[in-house]
Amino acid sequence: MEAKPAAMEVEGVEAARGKPRFRMPVDSDLKATEFWLFSFARPHMASFHMAWFSFFCCFVSTFAAPPLLPLIRDTLGLTATDIGNAGIASVSGAVFARLAMGTACDLVGPRLASASLILLTTPAVYCSSIIQSPSAYLLVRFFTGISLASFVSAQFWMSSMFSAPKVGLANGVAGGWGNLGGGAVQLLMPLVYEAIHKIGSTPFTAWRIAFFIPGLMQTFSAIAVLAFGQDMPGGNYRSLHKSGDMHKDSFGNVLRHALTNYRGWILALTYGYCFGVELTIDNVVHQYFYDRFDVNLQTAGLIAASFGMANIISRPGGGLLSDWLSSRYGMRGRLWGLWTVQTIGGVLCVVLGIVDFSFAASVAVMVLFSFFVQAACGLTFGIVPFVSRRSLGLISGMTGGGGNVGAVLTQYIFFHGTKYKTETGIKYMGLMIIACTLPIVLIYFPQWGGMFVGPRKGATAEEYYSREWSEHEREKGFNAASVRFAENSVREGGRSGSAGQSRHTTPVDESPPARGGV
Amino acid sequence: MARVGVVALSLVVVLLGAGLPRPAAAKTQVFLSKLPKSLVVSVSPKHGDVLHAGDDKLTVTWSPNATAGSDAAFKSVKVKLCYAPASRTDRGWRKANDDLHKDKACQFKVTVQPYAAGAGGNGTFDYVVARDIPTASYFVRAYAVDESGTEVAYGQSSPDAAFDVAGITGIHTSLKVAAGVFSTFSIAALAFFFVVEKRKKDK
Repeated sequence: MEAKPAAMEVEGVEAARGKPRFRMPVDSDLKATEFWLFSFARPHMASFHMAWFSFFCCFVSTFAAPPLLPLIRDTLGLTATDIGNAGIASVSGAVFARLAMGTACDLVGPRLASASLILLTTPAVYCSSIIQSPSAYLLVRFFTGISLASFVSAQFWMSSMFSAPKVGLANGVAGGWGNLGGGAVQLLMPLVYEAIHKIGSTPFTAWRIAFFIPGLMQTFSAIAVLAFGQDMPGGNYRSLHKSGDMHKDSFGNVLRHALTNYRGWILALTYGYCFGVELTIDNVVHQYFYDRFDVNLQTAGLIAASFGMANIISRPGGGLLSDWLSSRYGMRGRLWGLWTVQTIGGVLCVVLGIVDFSFAASVAVMVLFSFFVQAACGLTFGIVPFVSRRSLGLISGMTGGGGNVGAVLTQYIFFHGTKYKTETGIKYMGLMIIACTLPIVLIYFPQWGGMFVGPRKGATAEEYYSREWSEHEREKGFNAASVRFAENSVREGGRSGSAGQSRHTTPVDESPPARGGV
Repeated sequence: MARVGVVALSLVVVLLGAGLPRPAAAKTQVFLSKLPKSLVVSVSPKHGDVLHAGDDKLTVTWSPNATAGSDAAFKSVKVKLCYAPASRTDRGWRKANDDLHKDKACQFKVTVQPYAAGAGGNGTFDYVVARDIPTASYFVRAYAVDESGTEVAYGQSSPDAAFDVAGITGIHTSLKVAAGVFSTFSIAALAFFFVVEKRKKDK
């Protein structure tokens, strides 16, 4: 079997360098089979913390403006159209950036890709403090929003560090705690503004100074990634490419295998209606509560924050649910879970648009809605790692980019100018969520099945992933990682699929048992 | 984990519901269209004049309209600075509303003066445009207020002859410098790490 020589090659090289001892139990791919949330064990958990925090900072920067809009709109004389356009701009930059990030991760690794992106977009955050016109406002929001592509690198990084039984959870927590930034900032910015204002600054200066907080957070989190992070358990891409442990793939091949996989496209669409909706709400909710219910800046901030803050447990909860469903029902469970949770989210969104007559009801429904829509995001990324192995980065990028496209479209149709009242826009957005979640029924894996159809007899995961490599490439062993991945994904066949096989993957390293993981 | 989640969720909802300040309840409703236009108001800036926030001054003068009825109920005059229609278009947060409690067009208080019945009801006030007045076009409206604080009459300078205010930008040189310095630092940090990587690779 080709997997063994490749794995042993890695180990051999490691032995020559001094074999790295991992504190965590790992599979044949050196990916962790456990997830210890409160640990910083290198490289797996350390990577997790760096990934989620740097992504969190990008979210904070991207959504730093909305809670300060009541001040910014007066300073710059913005109209509702200006604000809508900037909101759209803030999420459209990342559409293509996420695709590019996916490719970059496939080619140069998540560490360099994410740090470069984050450090290159930080100047836009600092410059947000010196804007003087509606067009400048639009530009800074556009360039700052590009940093949201760091989502892809975070997910890619987690998929490289964590094995199949834990990848949904790892992706869910990293994504959720990152998205948390969009909520935390709604609370953070009004408080920072208040503090600066109290120190003696005039309102029109205080909001400008406030932008330095997200800027500095972003700069230093990216530096930490560069200084302390590594791409894979075995090391960084550069060294792995050099030693021959890892095949350096070509952009053309990675692109072809991503674009021709219909599952990537469907997930891109559905992600647009969970994550895209989340981004839209991040942009719209503060002003909605401030203007509709006449609460003050800080109160609107608290309410808006509670939407994003639900991410602490909702998205990880989605990932956990996905992993749990997989342990009982395999991939089919993951698919059903995603469709159900996202559809309920859509229903709650419609309800939110309808209960605008009551402040208390609006808040309550919004909190419930946030849990479901964010859990759906977690469930989506429980499925993404399995769509492709060769083009994992680009598929993650397509899905992530699709999320942003959904945000652009939704904001453009429903929250732009004064055509629809905000509550009406929210109601229609809910209907769109329900409609655009239906395509999930079309996703089918030959080896694991789809929502309504079972797996094809005799189809294997190894076949599915090896299909991405040509005969010639397979002979050379380029697909070694895919084969290992297929082996470690046996559990996606559900209880019957993995019957006779151990529920957990084979640890290569006889590490001590977990002291307390999640 | 599910049970903890449900408990946490309920707690959040209850706390939010209980802890949040309620939107203010409505007082006696007053409608602008029902108020008599008993005051004549004029302002010193002419149409198109630009006043600088924090520096320039405007003088507002009011007097009872000759054809108005009794002014016995007028106890004080409340003068407000209002956004002109041009500055209200496409800005829902400045929308004018006939119900004065919901009206958002007149957000800035200029002054509240006792109604000088003895001086024939005439009054004047010099107002230095406050520093937090944003850049926009404005007109001035004066309400005659009775003892309970309810508006009973009004007058305003012509919204079509609005004057402009140039608000402060809030930008100081130190902000520009700081933005430049930190931006450069971020790019430099990235370049630094790339150079270090290249050196390690070439070794």
